[in-house]
Amino acid sequence: MITTATTEMTGSTARIWWAQIRAVTRLEMRKTFLAKRGLWIYVLAALPVFLFVGHALVSTGWRNGSEQLARRSEKPLTYQDLQAVKPGMTREEVVAILGKPPVNSHWTENRAADGNATVIAHENYHYSDGQNDLYVELAGGKVENTNIREGYSPGQNSVLFAGVFQFFFLRLAVFFGCLGIFMNLFRGEILDKSLHFYFLAPIRREVLMAGKFLAGLLATCTIFVTSEILQTVAFLWPLPPSVRDVYLYHNHGLQYAAAYVGVTVMACVGYGAFFLVAGMLFRNPILPAAAILIWEGINPFLPGMLKQFSVIYYLKSLCPVDIPTPPGTPALFALLISNSDPVSAPVAVLGILIVALIALYASSVQVRRMEINYTSE
Amino acid sequence: MSGPLNDRILFEDVSKFYGEILGVNRVNLSIPPGITSLVGPNGSGKTTLMNLMTGLVKPTRGRVQVLGYATNDPEHLFKVVGYSTQFDAFPKALTGFQFLYSYLLLSGRGAQSAEQLAWRAIERVNLVDAAKRNVAAYSKGMRQRIRLAQALAHDPKVLVLDEPLNGLDPLARSEMIALFRTVAEQGCYVIISSHILHEVDVISDQVILLSNGYVVAEGQIQNVRSEIQEHPTQILVRCTRPREVAAKMLQDERTIEVSIHKDGHGLLLKTRDADGFYLALNRMALDGIDIESIAPADDDVLSVYEYLIGNEEVVR
Repeated sequence: MITTATTEMTGSTARIWWAQIRAVTRLEMRKTFLAKRGLWIYVLAALPVFLFVGHALVSTGWRNGSEQLARRSEKPLTYQDLQAVKPGMTREEVVAILGKPPVNSHWTENRAADGNATVIAHENYHYSDGQNDLYVELAGGKVENTNIREGYSPGQNSVLFAGVFQFFFLRLAVFFGCLGIFMNLFRGEILDKSLHFYFLAPIRREVLMAGKFLAGLLATCTIFVTSEILQTVAFLWPLPPSVRDVYLYHNHGLQYAAAYVGVTVMACVGYGAFFLVAGMLFRNPILPAAAILIWEGINPFLPGMLKQFSVIYYLKSLCPVDIPTPPGTPALFALLISNSDPVSAPVAVLGILIVALIALYASSVQVRRMEINYTSE
Repeated sequence: MSGPLNDRILFEDVSKFYGEILGVNRVNLSIPPGITSLVGPNGSGKTTLMNLMTGLVKPTRGRVQVLGYATNDPEHLFKVVGYSTQFDAFPKALTGFQFLYSYLLLSGRGAQSAEQLAWRAIERVNLVDAAKRNVAAYSKGMRQRIRLAQALAHDPKVLVLDEPLNGLDPLARSEMIALFRTVAEQGCYVIISSHILHEVDVISDQVILLSNGYVVAEGQIQNVRSEIQEHPTQILVRCTRPREVAAKMLQDERTIEVSIHKDGHGLLLKTRDADGFYLALNRMALDGIDIESIAPADDDVLSVYEYLIGNEEVVR
């Protein structure tokens, strides 16, 4: 009988806690989404979307130009045809390979050599295979220089996407967005002098903290996952449908997109837990934010053991596309870019969850100690 | 703790310091049911005592228990306690109804129960017409009433009210006082702090006088008075020959001061022995002096309060 009663009580308590967490979350979501002081977070989340939309618009313009140029060519060209033109070739050889240029321009140069004036005829040819453009510079009837402007391809641009994701979106947008939302969960109410409203309800402080954390997580995930999805859409937008389908369904594109969403969620979990506890421990958010930012920034230079106590260490391991280090990059930058000591995805997820749980445990200890003393703030 | 262990609100050697600033010091109290008033000037420790009682601040030393519940256990404490604070800030963008409804949902209640209780509390504080308006647009008195509604909404056994009559018009004050009395008559504990001493006097079953963080007296008004033996009683006597009465009373060594009332139809007398004075007055009546009425002129909190902590500190 006692066992049954205890079980019933536990079940009932769990139901009440869940109801309380939902009530806290509902209140907090309303505040978080409607807060004027949180507008900058939306701007931060929207910046990479604008970047990719801009990139898509420019790329689409280029592609349309290339397609028009290709249609005006004497014959259909391939990328190999464009690559076949080399410096030193004659005008006739170029025309033999690529046909008459659909766009050309010419000008003359008076060059003085050994007291004699020589007139040199310059020509610029512009070809396209519909996606990539070739610029040929001829002087005196011979190819002096060639330049191929590669068209928009998902393979090459996925590295650009990875760079924006790792170095802007994760380290700045999500980082500061989580700072703005999670630090204010308690600190904002202390400044508004309205935290006592929660402390006067028959609710465990830990349950209150869990509700607030969940609300912060839902808010940040909604904002940044939406941003991430819009970035992916903008990234794929300039691609012709056939190329897009190949990239998405046969070239890991869909997996990459899902992985980026997952990494964004894990970033919100990790940074959210960090900033929740920081918001309770510090009155001035700038100091802990700077400390965490530096800690995350110097992560590649830390010893292996210390690396594990950072969020970015695990997030980098979860990112689906590695950013190649260009030759000649200084060693320090190379270390920053590369992920020299990656861990497997399950270990990375577990690592972030453990780091978050440690931070949440510290928050629960702190929230039990909290007193309402607004005059000291 | 699974349930109440006793029927008192207990402070056992409680001190609270904010850094080096004293909140309250060495407080020992046992508060019974009924209306208890905390009286004292600004900074005397009234709000600190209430915050300690509700766990909003933690004692630096000592222990506080409310009906057997520890104050660091809000989950159970606030099932029996309702607290209307002096903090005049509310969660943003909520109407009066939403404010109460959210509070009741936080308590783990279902939506239907929360809605019913919220409306009932709104009716009790006469805010039905304003319930759908944003709290930010409320007047000070309305905000005071919605805080009272929050404290009352879940039918607590202990009602802690910090300056509950502040900002209320006279009609609302009398309505609220009637409400407090009703709640107290139902066996609840109503703890009130107030600067409006006459109102406290009228409604209190017991008073706790505070000064500079110390409890200087506690108990029923009359008991507090008798604890303070040296505090003289002031009595107003309405009679036909006040000068004659005054002359006779001045011969008694227990009489401290006598003054003729400004209308010339009575006298004000201060004595250390009120009972002895009444007996003496009876004898004078038998000697032919026409005594119209006798009334204690200062048997209220204010006089005791002034006596204990000094006139200069009284905040009216």
